[in-house]
Amino acid sequence: MTALPAVRPRSGPLLAATGLVLLAGAVELVGRLGLAGPGWPPLLRVLGYVGTPSAQALLGRALAATGGAALIGFLAGAVVALAVAVLGAVVPALDPGLGRLAAVVNAIPLIALGPLLITTAGRDATPTLVAALATAFAVFVAATSAMAAASAAQRDVFAVLGAGRATTLLRLQLPAGLPLVVDGLMLAAPAAVLGAVIGEWFGARRGLGVLLVSAMQNVQVELLWAAGLASSALALGGYLVLLGVRRIVGRRFT
Amino acid sequence: MPATTDPAITLEGVGKEFALRRGAAVRALDGLDLEVGHGEFVALLGPSGCGKSTVLRLVAGLDEPTTGTVRVEGAAPAELVRTHRLGVAFQEHALLPWASARANVALPFRVAGRPVDHARVTELLELVGLTGFADARPRQLSGGMRQRVAIARALALEPDVLLLDEPFGALDAVTRRRMNLELARIWAEQRITTLLVTHDVAEAVLLADRVVVMSGRPGRVRHIAHVDIPRPRDTAVTREAGFHELVDQLTGLLDEPAPVGAAG
Repeated sequence: MTALPAVRPRSGPLLAATGLVLLAGAVELVGRLGLAGPGWPPLLRVLGYVGTPSAQALLGRALAATGGAALIGFLAGAVVALAVAVLGAVVPALDPGLGRLAAVVNAIPLIALGPLLITTAGRDATPTLVAALATAFAVFVAATSAMAAASAAQRDVFAVLGAGRATTLLRLQLPAGLPLVVDGLMLAAPAAVLGAVIGEWFGARRGLGVLLVSAMQNVQVELLWAAGLASSALALGGYLVLLGVRRIVGRRFT
Repeated sequence: MPATTDPAITLEGVGKEFALRRGAAVRALDGLDLEVGHGEFVALLGPSGCGKSTVLRLVAGLDEPTTGTVRVEGAAPAELVRTHRLGVAFQEHALLPWASARANVALPFRVAGRPVDHARVTELLELVGLTGFADARPRQLSGGMRQRVAIARALALEPDVLLLDEPFGALDAVTRRRMNLELARIWAEQRITTLLVTHDVAEAVLLADRVVVMSGRPGRVRHIAHVDIPRPRDTAVTREAGFHELVDQLTGLLDEPAPVGAAG
């Protein structure tokens, strides 16, 4: 959602809106002229479809299911990742091992994990679990560097004042690292939506992922695009909420 | 203050090596002896890289000597740290940016798990001239004000020993001199055993009872000068001939290459 690069880099709501309108206009034009074939409808036709009551009911249910799975997965993944990062900070001997474990887990493609989770955790839990996995790595990486965000001089002051490990964690490392943790959450929010959608592909009962697969197989072009737009809106919404949190945290903690 | 004639800080034959890559080591300190008496202000003066900050880190318990012993109040530095009897201020103020000046000064109480003595915090803010800025966050304060908060924080628990590592090193010359005079005034009220590390000769002479000049690579004590200027010391002191003589003499020592085997 960024504007085209201007001569001098500028930003602002007006430029963002301009970029959005230009992008939407281009999408509409490609659809109107049929440049990309029948699979790319004009944007206004997709929006017209979204306006119908039946489509709204369908998309609403799917959005609620995917949003719920993404949110719960996001929260669970973030909590687990933060706990593991804090454990690594409190027990330094564990730190390198935890980092490698996280890298290995992240190296397994979520696509490959999907079927495995369906057979073990079940089709209802899979979207949430994949969302949690997608979130956890981003948050873990951010939280690990966040634990080291305090300056050497600040650590020295705490050491000389006789601060224990728990005190240093609570009064220095966590507050100093909070902005970085929120940065990680910001990256993880769209990843959680993506994870939930991927999880739904493998046979969930409802959700945007289910709609995407069935619309694709049944050549329901408007539904396919509507589901895609709904997923994007969900991911963007999560990102924007955390952007707001980031601003507040940035003001308070730096 | 314990009623003993033992010095507050003793370094005996202290050497410190830092490991480099491929098994090589650099010797930062070699056979360093130093004593600081109770209620004495000693300035450790030397060129950059002479190991003076290493001495301070050893006394603070942040590093361990490779050879020799470091005793503070008759025990290992770690003991003093454990009982929260050490105050420290570095060149980098190291204040917590999310906390107000008041909360930063109160930090040592919280770290020590003691109830915050709000009267003491208020008194310290007054002592460093920041009464009106108690609720300001560090980024709202000037560089000099931040260092004053850092010094108030170092004094919060009425430490037995105060360690200052170039606390005004990042300030401009004018602010620095003003902060020196402020510290001279504050110290005259508190009389805490203090070890100051600096490369500013005038700062050392203005503040200290004794100035210890170090030579570098490896760091050794080269010369010790007693400063007999009566306290309280103020701006008038910096205009006296005796002050300038001593500053010139010590500056000369810093400039010359050290004679072979020089110590004390």
